[in-house]
Amino acid sequence: MLAIIPSATLLGVEGRPVTVEVHVSNGLPAFTIVGLPDTACRESRDRVRSALLSGGFAWPLKRITVNLAPSGVRKGGSGLDLAIALGVLVANGDLDADAAKDMAFVAELGLDGRLRRVPGIVPLTAVVASAVVVVAPDCATEARLAHDGQVRVATTLKELVECLRGDAPWPDVVHPPDDANPPLIADLADVRGHELGRLAVEVAAAGNHHLLMVGPPGSGKTMLATRLPGLLPPLTSAQALEVTIVHSAAGVPLPRGGLVRHPPFRAPHHSSSMVSLVGGGGAYMRPGELSLATHGVLFLDELAEFIAPVIDGLRQPLEEGVVRVSRARASVTFPAKVLLVAAMNPCPCGEGGPPGACPCNEAVRHRYVRRVSGPLVDRFDLRVPVMRPNVDDLLGAAGGEATVCVAARVAAARACARERGVESNSEIPSTQLDEVAPLTRAAAALLRRELEAGRLSGRGLHRVRRVARTLCDLHGGDDVIADGHVAVALQLRVEPVAIDRFVA
Amino acid sequence: MSAACPDEAYGVALAALPMMGPARLRALLARWAPAAAWAAVAADRALDDHIVAAACGRDRHEVRAVWARVAKHIEPAHELQRSEQAGIAVHLLGRAGYPPELAADAEAPAVCFVKGDATHLASPARVAIIGTRSATAPGLELAHRLGRDLAAAGVSIVSGLARGIDAAAHRGALAAAGAPPIGVVGSGLDVVYPANNAKVWAAVAECGVLLSEAPPGAPPSAWRFPARNRLIACLADIVVVVESRASGGSMLTVKEAILRGRQVMAVPGAVSSAASEGTNQLIYDGCCPVRDSLDVLVALGLTTASRGRGRVGRPRPKGDDGRLFSLLDAGTPLDLETLARNFERSLAETALALDRLEAQGWAERNGAWWQAT
Repeated sequence: MLAIIPSATLLGVEGRPVTVEVHVSNGLPAFTIVGLPDTACRESRDRVRSALLSGGFAWPLKRITVNLAPSGVRKGGSGLDLAIALGVLVANGDLDADAAKDMAFVAELGLDGRLRRVPGIVPLTAVVASAVVVVAPDCATEARLAHDGQVRVATTLKELVECLRGDAPWPDVVHPPDDANPPLIADLADVRGHELGRLAVEVAAAGNHHLLMVGPPGSGKTMLATRLPGLLPPLTSAQALEVTIVHSAAGVPLPRGGLVRHPPFRAPHHSSSMVSLVGGGGAYMRPGELSLATHGVLFLDELAEFIAPVIDGLRQPLEEGVVRVSRARASVTFPAKVLLVAAMNPCPCGEGGPPGACPCNEAVRHRYVRRVSGPLVDRFDLRVPVMRPNVDDLLGAAGGEATVCVAARVAAARACARERGVESNSEIPSTQLDEVAPLTRAAAALLRRELEAGRLSGRGLHRVRRVARTLCDLHGGDDVIADGHVAVALQLRVEPVAIDRFVA
Repeated sequence: MSAACPDEAYGVALAALPMMGPARLRALLARWAPAAAWAAVAADRALDDHIVAAACGRDRHEVRAVWARVAKHIEPAHELQRSEQAGIAVHLLGRAGYPPELAADAEAPAVCFVKGDATHLASPARVAIIGTRSATAPGLELAHRLGRDLAAAGVSIVSGLARGIDAAAHRGALAAAGAPPIGVVGSGLDVVYPANNAKVWAAVAECGVLLSEAPPGAPPSAWRFPARNRLIACLADIVVVVESRASGGSMLTVKEAILRGRQVMAVPGAVSSAASEGTNQLIYDGCCPVRDSLDVLVALGLTTASRGRGRVGRPRPKGDDGRLFSLLDAGTPLDLETLARNFERSLAETALALDRLEAQGWAERNGAWWQAT
């Protein structure tokens, strides 16, 4: 007998429909799975057999062949377990084929027959063409986000078969409500002092300008970075779905309502590998931290401690907004529109920065700073030194401006950017700068002097003008950019370590 | 061997021989005219002369074998052509064109290679700024400052173009665009060492003069550097040591300077700093300490201490800018945030005021830090 059950497998952040074909025939008892299964997928033989026996079903002592079509696509993970189990039941005649008609199944099976969640429910159920999709009970909310038809759940295989036969009613699908309150993000009001640092995070949030903070340990770099997601506007529904798909595919826990509505904040450790950061690996190519942070903040603490080729791998995705990962058998595209925020110490001892402040040998300092390649540093529109705050500020009673006030300005500035037809000012094409960011005469003179002194390159000039545009938008949004904004933009893009003049 | 070769060609060819140090070259060229010296070496009879043999010391048998073997493959005319193509002038001791500043020295190089304008050597005052290659940030800062201020005051900076203090001093001199800098190097003038000093190297050759006694193509062998140091000592009126460990190349230069009666001055450092061990010892031994360029200028007799320290001439900035300038003038470099706080103005106003001060030459920035010039 033959059974055909639809399901899906994951490749990158996209689902691929898979048809599970089960054939049971006379012959020596055997159970083979063909169609390029990976290890987790091949192991489903043992899970399916135990789950069926635990559910009180008979295991046919016959020759069982499972084909996962299309057979040229690699299948990974355990999401096909349930479809294989039902296929065996149908092919063996334990279940009527019509009972499972126009239904797809995506779940892993426990040895006791329990249905378990698998990563990537959102993209998996999105590609299923059947009218009904059956998933584990805790996946119902996710499945509902992308699947066009009906979502049904079952706790165990036994329960599912009873429902399919019509012996029992389908269990209710409970959709928990969305979280009413945004996730708890530390407030900017707690930050004392750090006038320049506060300005830098505000500009970064308003214009989506990548930010590099350099300062001694304990000066507040991480504190400032963690407050950045609170300044970003909530995700639009299209962005939210894109982020949710990536998070679901990577198996990252989703919020209660299923949809990720707030900008994600990802802070991978500096030992991260290339694959963990940009994605790839395994048969189904998991998205990396860069993609998990899409439409949010990717925070790289201790930037100079990262493995150099790994962070250099971020250069091209930062420019394009997507990561294209290619392997011998497949190539996938992940979203990668992040706001990159990085922090590093100025030198190995951490105390450097101001000229002559630390005992590190100049060559050692130079080598430390050079760990971050020039082209990557060039991607940072904002490079600011973060000093230890003033003692009076630290002990003084008054905190700074609260996140809500700053976020309102950020939202207004982003609205200005949208009027120009870009998502944020960092995306303004250089050809349009003269049109959307004209300079006053004094501001132009200031830039001319920087260019003539050799401190600013052509590309640097464009970046400074975009930052100045953002600063102007944050302060009421005149059409013409005044010299004060340009002067501050230049100060937000300094060589953060006093090193350059004396060492070649 | 063509008879039409100028004497310089034989000079280069002799200098290009392996195991040819300054003393041996001097002995050879003192004994014979260049063409005859080359003929003697090529014919393997140079070592028969007892003065030359004495200069070769215990190595004489090895030297004889090596010279005789290598000389066969060296074509003097070709060597001279190679120098000329690299823009390197060759001067023989005692001939016209040889730098008179070196000629008077007892250990003057018999063959001297020059790139750039040799007349720059005749600067009215020359000061060597030397120090360790692994310098500290304040040391580099001071070397840069001394180089800049002295060059601006018309004093030529002599240094070895090594990593660290040497290069910082020359960068300062180049930044001032004052008196022409003088570089004395240990490798051939077409072999840049260390490679990342290539820019300074080229700039010194452009604005001043580069000297070496190594022939074109000579690698930076360790033995050439102490020999190079004696030329630095010889060319300088005063030798200023910015930072030095208890022993090292700088201390060898000091020794050569003392032998030649040149004044040695040293920059005092923290007694706990290894990089200042040598300079502090020099001061203990009686060298004049250097606090800034004025101390050196006074020692040169170009100015008097009574004129006082501080800026002369221009009126200081007035009003708000003046207030900001006095904040900067306290000495330590300050960042924008601190300046804005003490200036009691917004970041934008402070940044603009700083830009004005910089444009007028009152303030300078180093990375994110500002200080008065």
